[in-house]
Amino acid sequence: MTTLTYPLSRIEGHARVVIDIHDNEVFRADFQAMEMRGFSHYVRGVPAEQITVIVPRICGVCSTAHQVASVKALEDVFGVVPPPLAEDIREVLLLGQLIQNQATSLFIFTMPDRVNASSLFELSRSEAGKARAFSLAQMALRIRKIGTDLISLAGGQFIHPIKTVIGGVTSGIPRVKADQLILTIEELLPVATDLLDIYWDLSMQMVDRIGSWGDDEPTHYLASTEANNYRLNSRRLRVMKPDGSEAPSFDPHEFEAYLQITESEYSYAGISSYLGHIMRANSLARVNLAESFGTPLADAYRERFVETFGKPAHAIMFFDLCRGIELVYALEKARQMLSGDLEHGETEIGYTPRDGTGFGLVEAPRGPLIHRYEVENGLIKSADFVIPTVHNMLAIRRALTVVAKRYVSHEGIDAELERAVGRVVRAFDPCIACATK
Amino acid sequence: MESSTDLPKFAVLQLSGCSGCEVSLLNSEEWINNFQLVYMPLVVTSNKIPNGVEVLLVTGGVRTDEDIHNLRKGRSRARKLIAVGTCALSGGVAQFKKNHIARESFLKASHRLRMPDMLPNAYPIDKFVEVDLYLPGCPPTPQLFMTALKDPEHAQIAPIVCQECGRKKLNDMRPKSITGSRSGVVLPDICLVNQGYVCLGTSTRGGCGALCTRPGHACVGCRGPANPYLNKEPKFVLDNLRRVFSRMTDIPAEEIDAALASPWLSLFLGQFTDYTQETDLPPRTKEKML
Repeated sequence: MTTLTYPLSRIEGHARVVIDIHDNEVFRADFQAMEMRGFSHYVRGVPAEQITVIVPRICGVCSTAHQVASVKALEDVFGVVPPPLAEDIREVLLLGQLIQNQATSLFIFTMPDRVNASSLFELSRSEAGKARAFSLAQMALRIRKIGTDLISLAGGQFIHPIKTVIGGVTSGIPRVKADQLILTIEELLPVATDLLDIYWDLSMQMVDRIGSWGDDEPTHYLASTEANNYRLNSRRLRVMKPDGSEAPSFDPHEFEAYLQITESEYSYAGISSYLGHIMRANSLARVNLAESFGTPLADAYRERFVETFGKPAHAIMFFDLCRGIELVYALEKARQMLSGDLEHGETEIGYTPRDGTGFGLVEAPRGPLIHRYEVENGLIKSADFVIPTVHNMLAIRRALTVVAKRYVSHEGIDAELERAVGRVVRAFDPCIACATK
Repeated sequence: MESSTDLPKFAVLQLSGCSGCEVSLLNSEEWINNFQLVYMPLVVTSNKIPNGVEVLLVTGGVRTDEDIHNLRKGRSRARKLIAVGTCALSGGVAQFKKNHIARESFLKASHRLRMPDMLPNAYPIDKFVEVDLYLPGCPPTPQLFMTALKDPEHAQIAPIVCQECGRKKLNDMRPKSITGSRSGVVLPDICLVNQGYVCLGTSTRGGCGALCTRPGHACVGCRGPANPYLNKEPKFVLDNLRRVFSRMTDIPAEEIDAALASPWLSLFLGQFTDYTQETDLPPRTKEKML
């Protein structure tokens, strides 16, 4: 038995791919999370109202999603409904996170793969990079920074934000600050579409070279965005079947009836299935489950995507293109929301703590995220974090098996396998800190 | 960027943490033109830290035996090592302290085949290697990262958060009990302690620009104790906080003590002061603290 081990870079956290080969045949391909954050253990006994400061630290990349999900779960326990203005400001916050995350995944994590560069900075210095009128690296980081600026504005600080509290948000967004950010978005939106066009072209060229968009077997898709409303501050989970039809939607408090989560012997991350089926979450799931974005540029890209690749589209590297479309959507939507009045009106309402069990759902960049807390005598008795990356584990494993079989033959192991493994994992944009909560 | 190979080599080693420090570093993009990034798995495909690294940033705490191995290897290849963020300085939120239930529950769940073994606790990195500079914060701001990389010797760091906050301390506004998160409105321009919030800004080192307290969020102390409390027992910083609250408020001492012991504050406050309880660690001088 030959065991190939590939440590991974350009993803969040510590993980590796292990492929077992015997007699030029692939036996097993696995994706293993090498660290354990363990928050579900050490929040036990913590006063419930303090948990919203602690759980963002599960992950610095996804801290916004965790903060909002934890606040929503406690609001569910306490029976609080925040005012509409607070819901809108939370949406702006989550749009900021989507911009930051998709820009990072597109430009820092996966764009170098399009030209076999080791990093965005090397790519910028390459022929493909020098041919541009601007520095790819600096522009990509500027787009990404709009996301962190939005999180700072709506969340108080851009990592481990603080403004979302039980009952609402602590303050509105002043007109002057909203206007400043609108100007930046207007200046950089054309840059973002240019970067997406470059990314799209480089992806097409890469696929011409390697001959595949990756595992394209039809599968189930999971998202909590609506067909005609891409709201990330979401309420219900939706499922698309492999044939493109929709299964019944469900509430976060029903998740255990649909999502089966088990531990793995070889990885610190769990594995989940939808009623025993392989499923996928993240950008491609959302785009497959959407009819429209409701913003013109993103809708134009979506139409181009559907015309070119169909609906539902199944190949894994479509996740990357969909992230690009979502980046454009989030910039357009943020501009639209900031144009409205987010300054005046009730941002927060009072509440009375009580014991019970509550669920908080948001659509994180990687898919639906649920926090479940059981509160007893004001303390956290048990906490459960249902993590989007975990929903993709079976799909990642299958896609790795597909790619391993492609590059292992009677002629031996093709040197392209190492790069191919990286492309497969990055298409899912896994987050290991979250997955090992 | 053309001649980047002439620039000093710069590397980022992430141990067990949340990547928040890396995300913050990416927001201070100026380093792109000043350094050659040779190792940072989040951003660059590179399997090992090369020799001759000028500056190595280490983020995350030591959680596994593999972390210790990687940390020692990194130290041997770098001229200057900077410990970055709460986890590298104290073990971070993954540090269990005296929570035995959590510790046992965690360790029981942490057995896997062919995976790094978890240590009994999460440790600060200076338990294992020499550190040249400490950069506390959860995470440090992009500005602090730039200061650490460019000219840490001449940095002017505000001694405490209050100095950068700008909220006024009043003599005639004395709350009688702690204001919970429930009461809602925070008055602008007035000290959060005057408003009954358990704000740790009076004892926490500055340099963060008071980015939490200015918009009205009590300081949780993520930058750790101010210089007078470095390398001192926890009681010194706690006593100072008690003095501040008895001078500025009429909140009963027991109520303040209970609040200071609560998990969201002990998250940072407790862990930095607990550091001094580890007897085998080198002292952290103020010259080495950014």
